[in-house]
Amino acid sequence: MPEEKYEPKPEAGKELNRRDFFLKLGLGSLSIAAAGTTVFAYQFLSPNVLFEPSPIVNAGRPDSYPIDSVTLDVNSGIYLIHAKEGFFALGAACTHLGCLTVWKPELGIIACPCHGSKFKREGEKIEGPAPKPLPWLRTWVSDEGDLMVDRSAAIRPMQFVRV
Amino acid sequence: MTDPPSKDKKDFVTGVDSNARKSPRRVVFVTRRTSAQVKAVDEDQVQTFPEVLFRALVAIEVLSILLVWIALLFNAPLEGVADPSHTPNPAKAPWYFLGLQEMLHYFPPVVAGVLVPTLVIIALIVIPYFNINIEAEGLFLQDRQSRLRICYVVAVAMSLFLTYFHVYVALVPTLIVIAFMLLAAQSSPQSASPFRRYLAAQPLSYWIMTWFLFELVVLTVVGTFFRGPGWSWVWPWRN
Amino acid sequence: MAKTAAEYFENLRESRVWRSIFRSGTGTSTLHRSLAIQQNIFLHLFSTKVRRRMLNFSATWYLGTLTFGTFVILVVTGILLMLYYHPSVPQAYADTKDLQFVVSSGLFLRNLDRWSAHAMVLLVFAHMFKVFYRGAYRPPREFNWVIGVVLLLLTLLLSYTGYLLPWDQLAFWAITVGSNIASAVPLLGNKIHFLLLGGNLVNANALLRFYVLHCMILPLAAFFFIGIHFWRIRKDGGLYTQQSEPAAVRPQPVGKEAQ
Repeated sequence: MPEEKYEPKPEAGKELNRRDFFLKLGLGSLSIAAAGTTVFAYQFLSPNVLFEPSPIVNAGRPDSYPIDSVTLDVNSGIYLIHAKEGFFALGAACTHLGCLTVWKPELGIIACPCHGSKFKREGEKIEGPAPKPLPWLRTWVSDEGDLMVDRSAAIRPMQFVRV
Repeated sequence: MTDPPSKDKKDFVTGVDSNARKSPRRVVFVTRRTSAQVKAVDEDQVQTFPEVLFRALVAIEVLSILLVWIALLFNAPLEGVADPSHTPNPAKAPWYFLGLQEMLHYFPPVVAGVLVPTLVIIALIVIPYFNINIEAEGLFLQDRQSRLRICYVVAVAMSLFLTYFHVYVALVPTLIVIAFMLLAAQSSPQSASPFRRYLAAQPLSYWIMTWFLFELVVLTVVGTFFRGPGWSWVWPWRN
Repeated sequence: MAKTAAEYFENLRESRVWRSIFRSGTGTSTLHRSLAIQQNIFLHLFSTKVRRRMLNFSATWYLGTLTFGTFVILVVTGILLMLYYHPSVPQAYADTKDLQFVVSSGLFLRNLDRWSAHAMVLLVFAHMFKVFYRGAYRPPREFNWVIGVVLLLLTLLLSYTGYLLPWDQLAFWAITVGSNIASAVPLLGNKIHFLLLGGNLVNANALLRFYVLHCMILPLAAFFFIGIHFWRIRKDGGLYTQQSEPAAVRPQPVGKEAQ
């Protein structure tokens, strides 16, 4: 290729010359391609179908829970609590780092084994590093009369379900 | 090169810049009458092949033998199959993350799990890009009064902060390092004891890094040996 | 007269096949020894000569060399373990059990992989602090220090991703706790958590992702950065020397060493 001398013309300040045009075109299309690749990479890395258990749990007959009882369902990770005011469900995964908490009946508290957070029966934090109280989960009674809990739906506390 | 190391002499050369354009160095000066002559600083060198490679090989071999013995004598831990419905008590991360887990016990995850590690990594990366770390003057050799004042303020602030969050585990190493810093402030290159001369020569980066190392070791050891069920404090020798 | 092993080796080195493989040729002269380094694709990362005082144990404690040694052990044992391991739930746990009780030397290889991983983390930290206290991060070595920090992170990630693979209680909860730290990142936390695990829970997807990271992506990245790390030692003027360390003696006259 013969040596070309590139000399900007005096009026080149304003108008785009050919070299600049192709440079901008190239960089522009590269950045569009990069943005597209990022989107595709993100979509590829997020699975569309998950083989995870359903968020809605059938907790069985309400009368199988005696009053003032706290029942941990380990498979779904929820507490079903029958208080004097009615039924409610709490998420059992610690709000700190997701360890499964346990109910300590002798102390009347919920304790996390990982970093030592402690919660009241109503989910409020007593001590420890957990940033939030345990979430109250949407609970209702199905047409068949079973207690149902939606683990993905957190509700405001103190909404008891009366049967 | 052959003169013995004197005490007031520094351990390093400063201002060696890799950017030849910014700080040109004259290598040789050739006049018309003389031919070029390089006066290189010679020092005894050995060939990489075979001597250095051989030594490296021996070092790796010794390590391998050691690891093979460990692997023969101690079995890697293997617990029951993963069970999402049962959290072991206490649930511990690998040992090199137990310092982090110990901090997670005191601070919210966004501080202990994200902010602190990010800051540590950034701090490590920027070390060689600050001239204060390159020159590495003894911290209290200049502006002793004002630097001592800053040192006091930082010490009190950190102690209050750690006490407020009940992080006594991290408070102890902090106080010990501060005590040595104050000792360093009272020392000078003319001090009688060699230890105090050594302390006096230590720069700021040395103190920060030593504090970091100390905290890392203490938090990891506490997380590994002194934490039992519910992350409560236990004495490892009292079973 | 019986030939010694060294003589046999010398004959081998002079054979046509050997010389077709190793470009440097035979001979023990300084030139040949330099060529042995220069003309080898792997060894040319290193300089041909090293200051004698840097060979002292006290200068480096051989920490970098030893770290590389553990990395080699980990690559070898790791590849062997992969031959008997399926990254699926709950097969992974059964395979780990099989490695322990059924596969010949499986227990030993798994132990070696696990303990070498711990040793590597320990050695990387020790290496970093040793380099710092020697002041060896000084220019022109700044960037090599930064690469060292990257390698420290890669080591931690390698060890962490490997931790999940046995799929036992220890693994599961360590990864649950560790991945929940990622969700603490402001704004993007839950997205990062989801992408890292390939789901909302530590499950089969998470195991497969960690397996790919542990066996493919992270080791390749580590190889890449280790290569640069070694090469930069040569380019930055060899191992860092402190002025106060035992002063150098005058070099011996040329030719004496070659004997």
